[in-house]
Amino acid sequence: MATAPHTWLRLVPSCRSYSKATRLHKIDYPWKDEPKPHWVRQFEARRVDADLTPENRDWLRQWRLQRVRDAVASSSEAAAAASPLKEPPAARPLWTPRVSQRCGLVGIKLGILPMWYRNGQKVHTTVVQIPDQRVLRWVPPEDLGNYASLREMRPYRLNQSFLPRWLTQQRWGLQLVGAVPADPANFTAQWCGIFKAAGLPPMRKISRFLVSPDASLQPGACLGLHHFRVGDCVDVVARTVNRGFQGVMERHLMEGGPAAHGSTKFHRKMGSAAGGGGPIYRGKRMPGVMGNRFRAARSLPVLRVNTKHRLLFIKGFTPGPPHSYCQIMDSWMLDVRRSLDANPPPMPTYFAEDAPEGGYPEDVYHPDLLPYDQPLELPD
Amino acid sequence: MPPAPSAAAGSCALSLGSRFLFGCRVTAAHRFAASPVQPPSPLHQQPHLQPCRQGRRWLRPELRGVYKPRLSPEAMKEFWRLSGIGPDHSRAKAADQQAEVPPEIKRLYQEALPPIVSQDYRDPIVESLHRAEMMRRRRVINIPEFHVGSILAVSVMDKHAPNKVNRFVGLCILRRHTGLFTTFTLRNMVDQVCVQIEYELYSPSIVSIQLLKLERRLDDNLLYLMDAPHSHCTIPFDMVPEPYSRNDPVPVNRERVRLNPPPWMCKWHLHGYQGIDLEHLYSYLSDKDVAKAIEFSKAYKRYDLLDQYLNRVPVPDADYAFKDIFIQHQELLQHQQQQQ
Repeated sequence: MATAPHTWLRLVPSCRSYSKATRLHKIDYPWKDEPKPHWVRQFEARRVDADLTPENRDWLRQWRLQRVRDAVASSSEAAAAASPLKEPPAARPLWTPRVSQRCGLVGIKLGILPMWYRNGQKVHTTVVQIPDQRVLRWVPPEDLGNYASLREMRPYRLNQSFLPRWLTQQRWGLQLVGAVPADPANFTAQWCGIFKAAGLPPMRKISRFLVSPDASLQPGACLGLHHFRVGDCVDVVARTVNRGFQGVMERHLMEGGPAAHGSTKFHRKMGSAAGGGGPIYRGKRMPGVMGNRFRAARSLPVLRVNTKHRLLFIKGFTPGPPHSYCQIMDSWMLDVRRSLDANPPPMPTYFAEDAPEGGYPEDVYHPDLLPYDQPLELPD
Repeated sequence: MPPAPSAAAGSCALSLGSRFLFGCRVTAAHRFAASPVQPPSPLHQQPHLQPCRQGRRWLRPELRGVYKPRLSPEAMKEFWRLSGIGPDHSRAKAADQQAEVPPEIKRLYQEALPPIVSQDYRDPIVESLHRAEMMRRRRVINIPEFHVGSILAVSVMDKHAPNKVNRFVGLCILRRHTGLFTTFTLRNMVDQVCVQIEYELYSPSIVSIQLLKLERRLDDNLLYLMDAPHSHCTIPFDMVPEPYSRNDPVPVNRERVRLNPPPWMCKWHLHGYQGIDLEHLYSYLSDKDVAKAIEFSKAYKRYDLLDQYLNRVPVPDADYAFKDIFIQHQELLQHQQQQQ
């Protein structure tokens, strides 16, 4: 019987002896930066098979890739729309205010494109490509306690004074999504086994989203570009640019010391570490690796959708360098959630029956955005 | 399903046979004998490495049992010609390698070149989007060919102006960035006040860009005019446009500007400007500064391969960008003809 995690995790009393610095969210556990599932090795060194000729090796690789392409094509939304034999999908859930939270998409950040509004104001848009992705697994809220990565975190959780709300309230479950199918020979058998249960080819990236049970998707479901519409506000979560080992002046914007006036070897140092005879408190700001952390850019509207290259043009800037993965989901900001109640998005995701008559044009623009082939007309 | 490799192909059987019969390594020519892949070009041949004290020791070819022929001088010359860098290369020569695209395309669409940044920050899809949007904007407004040193008249939308349009005439002193981020700076004197305005080339609030005089200078930017007499950048607002022909080469203005006495905004003697009167400039400097300036301007940079490699767009990328632009340029001409 699945038990709620907060029943077996006894909440320890809050520690008042430490200062506020100890409760900073930057304090983390060693395996936090590892991509999940970190208990499964993803890549496998390529076996050099001396019995195969180069031509046969290439042929076998093409055969493997063709099987991956067939698996991807058979589970795509186009195939689902074209097949007359499959049963019609089950009744689609309705958008419930203050309850529904949809799954998100995995994206690849490509770069930045400037655009202009119809009032002449400039706006920078981040170009994000939505690769092929499928749903891997659904973990209901009541099974969160049995989920592997949360079991691993039990010692850490036991020592904390509070637990995150998504763990205690159990309103949302975990939706695993796989993106970017690739050659199975690159991966270990264990990694491929994760996808086998869903009947999918192995993929490079596994992401998880916190999703409400009414918007859950079953394994094999296809997530597409039109999951988000032009005008929807999204949150983009990604790893920030890794700036390497940095000193306190760069990392924590400390003052350092004077450059001249007799300053002896004190120009970019931290200075005192406090303590007053005792140990230095946990979370003290010191030099270290800067960046490479998950950060979220909140409430960014989608201004344009390009169906040819599968691109989303998101206003503003998102964390991470070009060609890095990012998670895109409906914004958690309250004003966006309330606006979605009036204009609900496709639930639980976009299906072919939601398409407008005649399909989508190559570029779908926000009404406030000025396409480059139109002249600007300012009102008097 | 890809076609199965023909086991009866002569090349496969022959290569297997030779490998096991003779017990020696399959030579390169043998493997490529009957395949569609061409033999390796001189570019892929490794030059023979001389042994050095701290490096990995290489046995002489006679002792290794494998003979790697030294590259002939002609092959080495071909290698350096294809690489695009080296002491014998100049920017003009590198541009001539792209002979398939007419030169007027390179003059008109200088901002179509991809940016010179690390490969990690470049993306082909984003660059193709930049080029496509540039050409879409050119269907609305005519952007003439201009260089640093040309005189332009730019009209932008201004709701506070009497005619809702604000016109400025100036000398182009700077042209920065690439793609849709391209900007250019115009400089002029207005009521004895120096004014510099930076415009975004693809901003929709620009109503028109009129070329008054097509000219080129000896430098990539004319920022030293900030420390020059104001007569060099005084352009009348009612200047009549001078006619020019696209087929003629861009005229080069080889005047050398005499700067004002120091203090200056910048150490102009340390940037290799050719458009400044250097004798006059050095007369203001101390002997130490003059020696530093002369040291800086020495012609050793043509041997600095890393400098050339890092500050140059790779020739295949530039080639691809200009070909892409050329196709869209022809579509633009058709569109303009249809409108007329």
